[in-house]
Amino acid sequence: MTEPVKKQYDLNRREMPKQLPEVRRYNFNEVALGYTAETAIEEAKRCIQCKKPLCISNCPVEIDIPGFVKCIAEGDFLGGIRILKDKNCLPAICGRVCPQEEQCEKTCVFHKKGGQIAVGRLERFLADWEAQQCEPEMPEMLPNSGRKVAIVGGGPAGLTVAGDLIKLGHKVTVFEALHRMGGVLIYGIPEFRLPKVIVTREVEYLRKLGVELITDFVVGKTRTIDSILGEYDAVFVGSGAGLPWFMEIPGENLNGVYSANEYLTRLNLMKGYLFPKYHTPVKSHRKVVTVGGGNVAMDCARSALRLGAESRIVYRRSREELPARLEEVENAEEEGVIFDFLTLPLRYIGDESGWVRAIECQKMALGEPDSSGRRRPVPIEGAIVTFPVDAVVCAIGNSPNPLIGATTPGLTIGKKGNIEADEKTGTTSREKIWAGGDVVTGAATVILAMGAGRFAARSIHEYLSRPQAEVSQNSGA
Amino acid sequence: MKLDSVDQILDFAIAKEQEAWQFYMDLAAKVGQQPVKQVFEAFAGEELQHKAKLIEIKQRKLMIPVQQRVLDLKIGDHLVDIVLSPNMTYQQALIVAMKAEKAAFRMYHDLAAAAGEGNLKESLLMLAQEEARHKLRFEIEYDDNFQREN
Repeated sequence: MTEPVKKQYDLNRREMPKQLPEVRRYNFNEVALGYTAETAIEEAKRCIQCKKPLCISNCPVEIDIPGFVKCIAEGDFLGGIRILKDKNCLPAICGRVCPQEEQCEKTCVFHKKGGQIAVGRLERFLADWEAQQCEPEMPEMLPNSGRKVAIVGGGPAGLTVAGDLIKLGHKVTVFEALHRMGGVLIYGIPEFRLPKVIVTREVEYLRKLGVELITDFVVGKTRTIDSILGEYDAVFVGSGAGLPWFMEIPGENLNGVYSANEYLTRLNLMKGYLFPKYHTPVKSHRKVVTVGGGNVAMDCARSALRLGAESRIVYRRSREELPARLEEVENAEEEGVIFDFLTLPLRYIGDESGWVRAIECQKMALGEPDSSGRRRPVPIEGAIVTFPVDAVVCAIGNSPNPLIGATTPGLTIGKKGNIEADEKTGTTSREKIWAGGDVVTGAATVILAMGAGRFAARSIHEYLSRPQAEVSQNSGA
Repeated sequence: MKLDSVDQILDFAIAKEQEAWQFYMDLAAKVGQQPVKQVFEAFAGEELQHKAKLIEIKQRKLMIPVQQRVLDLKIGDHLVDIVLSPNMTYQQALIVAMKAEKAAFRMYHDLAAAAGEGNLKESLLMLAQEEARHKLRFEIEYDDNFQREN
């Protein structure tokens, strides 16, 4: 009798080529270069098509991951993109900036052995393939329902709601405060991580579907939500978290101290790094310190490096606690960003002209775990260090802009300035107003914002599908 | 006010908790944003709990000698003083609370340093640690909410 043959699995996750660190630190071009078709097929063939795939349940928008991976393995890229776009209207973006390592890839059966399927890279491959090969396919559209939905904010949450509702036959208008659609995808995430041509492509796709896109329109200033509701059956608020936090330490008003929002907006939205092609230059700095350890901090520090500065990150905890994606931390280290862990800014020191010239920091140590098991940093008595700087970027977090809460009576706002909304439906304390994304959760990830948008779109559609009389009655409420 | 006995010290501390309640209620009345108003009202409510605890300690003579120093994260120490205004945020509310509790800790600590050895000193040190515990509670809330990326 022969022994059963033990099945051999391929745990060799295929690497994605990147620009070399010594090259990319001098340019703003995309760092990761994407899979070739051959590599994508090889990677996809490793997937064993689990009968009960855990990757789907750990995806905030519930993409049929094994489905599109199987299509790639079989070379059916068009079939793959159809499956992908059924649940995700922004695949080229999610394939680049979503934390797959914490979501779908984390629950892959190969994860424990380090060979999890590279779902994000495959998603990106399909979206890029579609953009290169053909015009995007138009999805099936339901007939016009006669209902109108206004969306406040053209970021990932709002664009997802727009994409879902237009396909369901509703008329959709997106109101964006800035002069370009995309929200944080345009003003926040740098070109080297997410080329803006991709965001523009996804936005144009929505326009082709019939979504009306209105820019330079600040809801709460140009018009209030209540005024908009006079013309629309429902409003979704996805205005993001654009109000930066500062540390409230001495010297934050000095020249050369930026919030991450300002610094990145000057570079990404205003194209400061492309002066004189764009007439909005950024000041050139020699020594830049970024405060914080999240993805935004990595974006700022790596941008400063590309603008020619010596770029340093100061972070209050140790490397293990960095909230940024490991991939971004490694990219920053390879490029030459200097990390000072367990270092807390105490004050910014200025010169006689009011420009920041130094940052004084306290060295920290991790204390004993508290009741939550977390080791909190505590100061080391007398351990003070000072770095010379000519710019500081504060990247410690954001909360929502208070404008909408202040101009919309009856809308319940949380203590951190967030709109309170139901997690599963996006409904708020106000009839006909839904909310989702960073304006509800505080600054989080693109895919979570899209997930919230998807849930809200479902709930809005359900509401709009009620008999006309019921919706009209609510309209008068 | 004379602080010659443990009871006098406790009466002083009880009056201080009442003042702290008033301080937060005044701030709650001053701020415009409802959620921040509620934050200050909650802080005021905590001061009443502290007061009740001290009254119980006094009535039941429950003074417990300080066994262990409360952890001091020193988060508020280097932050600027917040200008009290109707537009205060939750972040600023927490800074105000951390600083107020630190000031109370220092007061009891300094009084203890000036007191001779014995029950009076022990009582003041216990009150100082109690205030340190209140401060730590605000520091942790601040750390969890506003320092996640720092």
